[in-house]
Amino acid sequence: MTDTKTENRKTPLYDAHVALKAKMIPFGGWVMPVSYEGVLAEHKTVREACGIFDVSHMGEVRCKGPDAVKFLQWLTINDINKLKIGGGQYSAILNNQAGMIDDLIIYRLAEDEFFICINASNRDKDFSWIKEKSKEFNVTVTNESDDWAQIAIQGPKSTDVLAAVLSASDANAMRALPYTNIMTATISGKPSLLARTGYTGEMGYEIYIPKAVAHNTWMALLEHSPKFGVKPIGLGARDTLRLEACYLLYGNDMNDHVTPLEAGISWATKIDKGDFIGRDLLAKQKSAGVKRQIQAFKMMDDGIPRHGMKVFVGDSEAGEVTSGSVLPTVGGSGGMALVSTSLKEGDEFFVDIRGAKKRAKIVKRPLYAARTK
Amino acid sequence: MDFPKNFKYTKDHEWIDVQGNSGTVGVTAYAVEQLGDIVHIDLPEAGKTYKAGDSFGTIESTKTVSDLYMPVAGKVTAVNSALKSAPESLQADSYKNGWLVKIEMASAADAAKLLDAAAYEAFIKE
Repeated sequence: MTDTKTENRKTPLYDAHVALKAKMIPFGGWVMPVSYEGVLAEHKTVREACGIFDVSHMGEVRCKGPDAVKFLQWLTINDINKLKIGGGQYSAILNNQAGMIDDLIIYRLAEDEFFICINASNRDKDFSWIKEKSKEFNVTVTNESDDWAQIAIQGPKSTDVLAAVLSASDANAMRALPYTNIMTATISGKPSLLARTGYTGEMGYEIYIPKAVAHNTWMALLEHSPKFGVKPIGLGARDTLRLEACYLLYGNDMNDHVTPLEAGISWATKIDKGDFIGRDLLAKQKSAGVKRQIQAFKMMDDGIPRHGMKVFVGDSEAGEVTSGSVLPTVGGSGGMALVSTSLKEGDEFFVDIRGAKKRAKIVKRPLYAARTK
Repeated sequence: MDFPKNFKYTKDHEWIDVQGNSGTVGVTAYAVEQLGDIVHIDLPEAGKTYKAGDSFGTIESTKTVSDLYMPVAGKVTAVNSALKSAPESLQADSYKNGWLVKIEMASAADAAKLLDAAAYEAFIKE
């Protein structure tokens, strides 16, 4: 629960959201726009045209130095040696019990320099962990979270929208940028970073710009509304979009007590790359077999599943819903649940929706096939 | 925002239109605006009896689920089943086609304790 005595922080785009008549809510210590014209309309805008999101609350950490590769190889679950300069990699940092401290994206800016994007609600927790673990290595880690504003541009028209605020040469480089990669660009006259990635399942980008030019950049992107149908999108649609694409949300689908194998990101967990924090426990869990894992599901009865609702097979409890919602593009309702591995694709189970057991079915992940490529 | 003058209101944002011994119950335009996109409405079967303040169903938006409370004691005589397949229609009109249930009131005098339109409008401005 939010401590009422703590002032929620505002992003550099706060005034822009208020001027756009957004509904503002507290979120992870920040006051953020949850919606502008409505979650369903905004969801549709991103699937069909282009939406821009203020994600300035996300954190950024730079890691640089002769031991940067060695350090990140020890700190994170994915294989840093596979990351080329200009590339991006989905990864996670684990505690000593192999539980997830956070999931993150690591970009390689140079041979010995990395830029790490972390979750808003975990900024302080992550940085103190990273800082502590870096002591034994010849690296400098810097928390740059307060320096950057971040805007996500997502949807089939996102390339055209973003190109409109770039120089011709930066726009050409962006059009050639492979999925997950990052490049430098000049945005609103300032050196910025531009990554081809996102959290919606659509073609899209995330830009890191100095705070001082956040407002100008936001307005410049929206100026192309008549031509490309670009609109501002709140956290409400961000959640329904990512849920259809089955992207995990920290705090919902995973936490300090869930391992990456249980969270279904074994594809990013390189147990054989050499030692890293949490590795031994993961290796044990892998050989013993995980007992529970994240699965996607759809409701067969009516009702909307929500985070924390219990899952039953017959009368036996078999896990819980980690994220649930209406599924605006897919249709119906559904989500993700952390359930017993005895539940396989196609199996039916019940979700306890406020005392009523409603039928649901495990389906193939993701619910919505990403169009990021 | 519109609040019909002839309706009575609760602090939980329901309205009731009293006609003799029967009443039609719904949610206010203010509630609808606060909820955002309405995606699911759960209503009782006709024949069920409730006390004033009892939860008789739920209304769910993309963000959250809220209980629906009976403004006065009574028995459900009709349910707006059209809302089951088209819950979003409530957003456009929560006073006419967006009614939720019709009830036979235990006592027609009960409605006098509820807020009138002016008092309700003052309440939501607080």
